[in-house]
Amino acid sequence: MLTGITVIGMMAAMKKTNPSFLNGVPELLVLRLLARREMYGYQIVEEIRAQTREALAFGEGCIYPYLHYLKAQKQVTSQRREVDGRNRNYYKLTARGRKRLDELTTEWKRVTTGVALLLEEQHA
Amino acid sequence: MRDFIETLRRRLVELGCPMAQVRRLVQEVADHREDLKQAALAEGLAEVGAEVRADVQLGDPLALADHLMAAQRRSSWWGRHFVVTFCLLPLLAFPVLWLLLLLLEMSLAFALGYGWDSKKLHVAVNDPVTFHCFVTVFHFMDYIALALATLLFCWLARRAAVGLKWMVTACAVCSLLTLITWGKIEPHSFFVGFTVNSHLHLQWLRGAIPLAVAGAVYVFERRTRQRFLEKVAD
Repeated sequence: MLTGITVIGMMAAMKKTNPSFLNGVPELLVLRLLARREMYGYQIVEEIRAQTREALAFGEGCIYPYLHYLKAQKQVTSQRREVDGRNRNYYKLTARGRKRLDELTTEWKRVTTGVALLLEEQHA
Repeated sequence: MRDFIETLRRRLVELGCPMAQVRRLVQEVADHREDLKQAALAEGLAEVGAEVRADVQLGDPLALADHLMAAQRRSSWWGRHFVVTFCLLPLLAFPVLWLLLLLLEMSLAFALGYGWDSKKLHVAVNDPVTFHCFVTVFHFMDYIALALATLLFCWLARRAAVGLKWMVTACAVCSLLTLITWGKIEPHSFFVGFTVNSHLHLQWLRGAIPLAVAGAVYVFERRTRQRFLEKVAD
């Protein structure tokens, strides 16, 4: 299970050798989900779990450090809003966030293509 | 509910998180906890069981607070490069800031006192009694400029969430710099310098100003946190 804490630890370990390998995976997932629609923290965690068929999951609380980091980087904005009698912070992607999402998606595809090629070669 | 949220809140306050941020973060995590609890209740768990499961799912509140603060540190350049910002930057920026603030204050005093009329000013400085007042006011403005320049680094430390240690470090660097920067006025002249000048009066007082600012900010922060926690506890 890929929790936020696990990713942070792995990111530190990978930094010296290949900073772009796992660095930014949680960021990519969050930005990708927010590109579709505005969401709040609990919804994002649930959506990641459901859409990755529980292959990836954030620790419940670990989403907030990422969201606040993204907000400080002006990649997302937040707005407190009442829906169904509950007040929640809804996060929305900004133009900067969309640009970052494109960069991360390209980078991720490059890495996964490389890994896939290597795995295919081993099987052949 | 109270234990988890209370522990998170206290830890954030202890780590020096700004109060507005604490309120927002705690509210958000409390909302998340409520969602987890509702999900557990929907699955048929009892109230107490649902609360326990929500707490377990959220994890350790102390670790969560640490991660939230780490995220805040990483989100600013100042927070990521705290050694550069709070040890090296003051060496360059503090004297420049001090000088700019001093010039600004002198310009304001000139505008308010003499309405930008240099002739009036020239007449005034020829009077020894008036000039003595000028010197006193100049020293006062010098101290204010030092305090404001130091305060800027304190504000930066708070904003970057790097903690008291780095704020005090920046203030100590500023304090050392005050010992080698000086300003002086004479009739019709104004001097600034970057040398050790033992002839200047009250140089030790200048050196004490950044440390006094650090102390005042520390006491203020401590009281604000204390009051915040008391208010929340009520």
